Amino acid sequence: MIQSYLTVSVILFCLGIVGVISRRNVFTVFMSIELMLNAANLSFVALARLHESMDGHVLALMVMAVAAAEAALALAVVILLHKHKGKLDTNVFSLLKG
Amino acid sequence: MFEHVLSVMIFLPIVAGLVLLLTPAGKGIARLTGGVISFAGLVLGIDIFFKFKNQGPLQFVENIPMIPSLGINYSLGIDGISLFILLAGAVLLPMVYLLFTTKSKGYYANLLIVQGAMAGAVCAADMILFYVFWEVMLLPVFFMLGLWGGESRIPATIKITIYTIAGSLLMLLGIIYTGVSYHAQFGEWSFNIVQMTQLQMAGPVAVLAFFGFMIAFAIKIPLFPFHTWLPDAYTEAPTATTFVLSAIMAKIGVYAVIRLVVPIFDGEFARYALLLAYSGVIGMMYCGITAIAQKDFKRMFAFSSASHMGVIALGVFCMNLQALTGSVFQIVAHATSTGVLFLFAGILEDRVKTRKIADLGGIAYTAPVFALFFAIAMLASVGLPGTSGFIGEFLIILGAIKFNVLIGVLAGTTLIIGVCYMLWMFQRVFFEKTKPASEGFKDLTLTEGLTFLPVILLIIFMGLYPQPFLEKIEPAAQLHLAAADAGKTIALADNTHALVQGSTVETQK
Amino acid sequence: MEHNVTFLGYIPILPLIGAAVLGLLHVGTCTRKPIHEKIYGVFACIGPLLSFVLALRVFFTLKGMPEEARYLTQEAFTWFQVGDLNISMGFLADPLSSLMLLFVTLIGSLIHIYSIGYMSGDKNFGKFFAYLNLFLGSMLVLVLGDSPVVMFVGWEGVGLCSYLLISFYCEDTDNVLAGNKAFIVNRIGDLGFVLGMGFLFWAIGAQGFDFMSLKANAHVLAPGVALTVCLLLFVGATGKSAQIPLYVWLPDAMAGPTPVSALIHAATMVTAGVYMVARFSFIYAHVPLAGEIVAWVGILTALLAAIFGMFQDDIKKVLAYSTVSQLGYMFAGVGVAAYSAGIFHVFTHAFFKALLFLGAGAVIYAMHHEQNIWKMGGLKKKMPKTYITMLIGALALAGCPPFAGFFSKDEILFSALATGHYGIWIVGVLVAGMTAYYTFRMIFVVFHGEPRDQEAYDHAHEAPAVMTVPLIILAVGALCAGFLNLPAIFGGHQQVSHWLAPSLTEHHPHASLFVEIIAIGASVLAFVIGIRAAYKRFGAGAEEPQFQGFAKFAYHKFYVDELYDAVFVQPYKRIGDAIRKTIEPSVTDGPVTLAAKVYMIAGAAFKVFQVGYVRVYALYMIIGLSVMSLLLSQSLN
Repeated sequence: MIQSYLTVSVILFCLGIVGVISRRNVFTVFMSIELMLNAANLSFVALARLHESMDGHVLALMVMAVAAAEAALALAVVILLHKHKGKLDTNVFSLLKG
Repeated sequence: MFEHVLSVMIFLPIVAGLVLLLTPAGKGIARLTGGVISFAGLVLGIDIFFKFKNQGPLQFVENIPMIPSLGINYSLGIDGISLFILLAGAVLLPMVYLLFTTKSKGYYANLLIVQGAMAGAVCAADMILFYVFWEVMLLPVFFMLGLWGGESRIPATIKITIYTIAGSLLMLLGIIYTGVSYHAQFGEWSFNIVQMTQLQMAGPVAVLAFFGFMIAFAIKIPLFPFHTWLPDAYTEAPTATTFVLSAIMAKIGVYAVIRLVVPIFDGEFARYALLLAYSGVIGMMYCGITAIAQKDFKRMFAFSSASHMGVIALGVFCMNLQALTGSVFQIVAHATSTGVLFLFAGILEDRVKTRKIADLGGIAYTAPVFALFFAIAMLASVGLPGTSGFIGEFLIILGAIKFNVLIGVLAGTTLIIGVCYMLWMFQRVFFEKTKPASEGFKDLTLTEGLTFLPVILLIIFMGLYPQPFLEKIEPAAQLHLAAADAGKTIALADNTHALVQGSTVETQK
Repeated sequence: MEHNVTFLGYIPILPLIGAAVLGLLHVGTCTRKPIHEKIYGVFACIGPLLSFVLALRVFFTLKGMPEEARYLTQEAFTWFQVGDLNISMGFLADPLSSLMLLFVTLIGSLIHIYSIGYMSGDKNFGKFFAYLNLFLGSMLVLVLGDSPVVMFVGWEGVGLCSYLLISFYCEDTDNVLAGNKAFIVNRIGDLGFVLGMGFLFWAIGAQGFDFMSLKANAHVLAPGVALTVCLLLFVGATGKSAQIPLYVWLPDAMAGPTPVSALIHAATMVTAGVYMVARFSFIYAHVPLAGEIVAWVGILTALLAAIFGMFQDDIKKVLAYSTVSQLGYMFAGVGVAAYSAGIFHVFTHAFFKALLFLGAGAVIYAMHHEQNIWKMGGLKKKMPKTYITMLIGALALAGCPPFAGFFSKDEILFSALATGHYGIWIVGVLVAGMTAYYTFRMIFVVFHGEPRDQEAYDHAHEAPAVMTVPLIILAVGALCAGFLNLPAIFGGHQQVSHWLAPSLTEHHPHASLFVEIIAIGASVLAFVIGIRAAYKRFGAGAEEPQFQGFAKFAYHKFYVDELYDAVFVQPYKRIGDAIRKTIEPSVTDGPVTLAAKVYMIAGAAFKVFQVGYVRVYALYMIIGLSVMSLLLSQSLN
């Protein structure tokens, strides 16, 4: 049973990775990150159930809280970026190019 | 209060500088603060000079444990050698605040910090503490040079910073190695400079550690061929920074050789002394000869300063009493003469807005006081008897002849080389026909004249009556040479005793 | 007898105080309204005159002492003391230094007075007298110093003043260059002096480094060390006293005002080298080889300078080369261990050469700063006082009996002959003839014949009394000074030699009457031939000659200046330039810039990976994590 949960979690995580790497829209990248967080959450919860321990649940809640905070911050940054350049294409924001 | 006088000399300027940085004070207040604090340093310095006893061991000792598990202490103390470098800073730095008015608050704050850090490096009796101050010393220079320097200041800043830090890291390795060796030989941790002298250093790693120290100091002094940061930095730095670098900081390099290398690495030092002496002499000749070809007077003074530092360092490498004493005396003499020359160069640059020698001429006709003071400082720098420059140079050449005849003869050529570029420069700047840039050159104002007067008088006084200075230097020099000799522990027993006593006084409180 | 006195120190200090006062007055006022010249003049002359009075006091105090214990000392304070090296600021007056003191202060005072006239109207009047006082003070320190180091203070001090006064008219580049040359060449000599002191100290200085202790310990010097010390000190002397190979600065030094040429570059400073050798006679006397070298260098310098002197057309250059030549005689004298003869020539030379220079100054003053002798002529009618005094000086210089120069020069030549230095004697006699020739060439061309420049002649006039009175006093000296050391053959007692004897380590040669007569006869013959040759060519007036062949070569001073310039000065500058342009940036700084460059290249290489897109960084992260987890899983298995 646990394998199915973990498989789903891995698939979700990989989807997230592919999203982060391949998509150029900031929002899509952001959503893909959320996807990866949720993949992690899923495996936490599944493993918590397996080990009958509450630690996994605590961590999952913790991740959700962090994700919410991060979303608030990230959206603010996104708005600023949009104000700055008028676009939400990640290729535009390449200040760290050497 | 009095037993902490060294701490006061170190931390009063540093704290004042930091407070200045944090408050929104204007540059006028900053200059006033700086002037008052450095003047307080001068008063303390004079007080120390008169309370100083003519003995070898460390005095004014302070000792507070910092990291007892590793034997790292906040220990301070000065002897006849450090006394004069401390005093050179205390006497010369107040001049800066009186002379230059145009810089901003941060500049004065940095000057204060560097003053405290230099005092710290000179007074530190613990290697780790020394290292900390040594590095802190560089920071304000980095900012002053990088923010307020001349046109091509950025490369100069990067060069001096990276060059010196590279050296310092080698020294850090050396310090750690000596600390570990002390632990291995005596079973306890200590980084105390006096206790370190009991170490028996031998083997290839000791040689590496020796060169780690030596390269760090050779860069700071600077010794040939590690001098290449100097012309750029001295030329681009604002006047007060050049002044600090040449008059005091370079001397701390020589001081560190005397304090850390001579007593600890006595064997290696004796083995490589000839090599080092050649480096000093060749540097003196090389920088002196190239000085004559410079087109920019500040750059010429930079090479001149490097040339003299070669002679001063040579005095240390000769390992005899006359040369070492002469070297310490020359440190002070050179700080006054070359330091003042750099200040004059700054005044010159401020007034004529150029650094090219070829653009100047005939300044002596409209500015006789300036020309007179400049000439006295210049003559001291070329070692004319009757000025401070002669005593030190004479003692060093005398010692060098005993050390090695060829070195002595080569060292003697400084008499000729120095006079060549100085007269050539003096002729084109002060004599000949007046050029457009130097037309109507204003003489020193009353404030400027009164600022320089004490130092000019000091130059002459030190030349005519150097004995009060020499008798304070000599016992410490003797002690160091005794420590460098094979049977070194006996002479140092007193010294250790003084430090231990100091620590008991502290713990009782 | 009390040997410690307190007034010795005042002798140099008085002029030094004068220098400080005058210098400050000048610096304080020169850009505003200048002070009246009379005030400067009075202040300037007080110091030298008081020093002269004190010098007389020293002389008479010494005279009142028993002959073998004639010395006065004053130890002002410990100057510096490090380990065995103990130098006190001390002064020593013995017969040798008292003689020097007397004529230095006397001639110094006279030239100060003369200068009031000569320099009047110059805008740097005050500066001139400040330098002149400073010079006199330094010279007196040199003479009175009780150890080589104190002597060196004066030694360098006079060098500095010489530099300052040569480049006195400093708006002209040539004058400043001449000053620089003098200072730098002197410094080369000073290097020898310092090194000589160094060797001497490590050999016998530990028991005391003053002249008296050194003299007491000189016998323990190893011969090799003694020779080294002697030669190094002599290098110092060649610099200060303008001998081969360092004589080149003295002719150029004539760029300074004429009283300076008279005081510094003829009468006093340049004789310091001879004085120094005589001071160290206790070492030189034991090293005959060193004496031999000194004597030969001296006499060859005398010959070379006499050759140059015969072809010069600048009145001051003629006198300058004659000074070099006479200094050569003095070294020949001290070289053959006739120290008192050398010093006596210093003494007489000071009078007649100062006289000649001051006379030349009066002529130049009258001719409105014209120095070329081929523009003068017939001046004896216009300037009779100057003519007569200069004639006395010229006769003394040429060695005409019974003028001062005859006795002193003859004493040197006689000593050379009597000690068996025949080569030196022959060259010396030859030079004596040449001296007579070029001296009277100058006198005839300047004062006799017809005026060559009528307009300048019409404006010429006799100098004021403030200038002629010192001339007359010096002329009396040039006339009579020789009688002070009248040798026995003329019924004299050689008072000067006896007076100097306690200070010097010398043995008077004993020679037959025959040798003495040969020496005197040869000198007189040389003088007569020289003066006759000069009269034949120039007595009735002559036109400026065009030099050919050897004469042209000699007129250009054998191109020695050009040679030095090509061999030393230009290479030095070129090395400096080469270091500045190529060696410093590429060789010395090379490793440093190379390290920086390697760093930059490495940075450029790594830059490729720094694309700037967030998603690529994410990819790097995932690749890294994957590799790490693969490795981790493998290691766990």
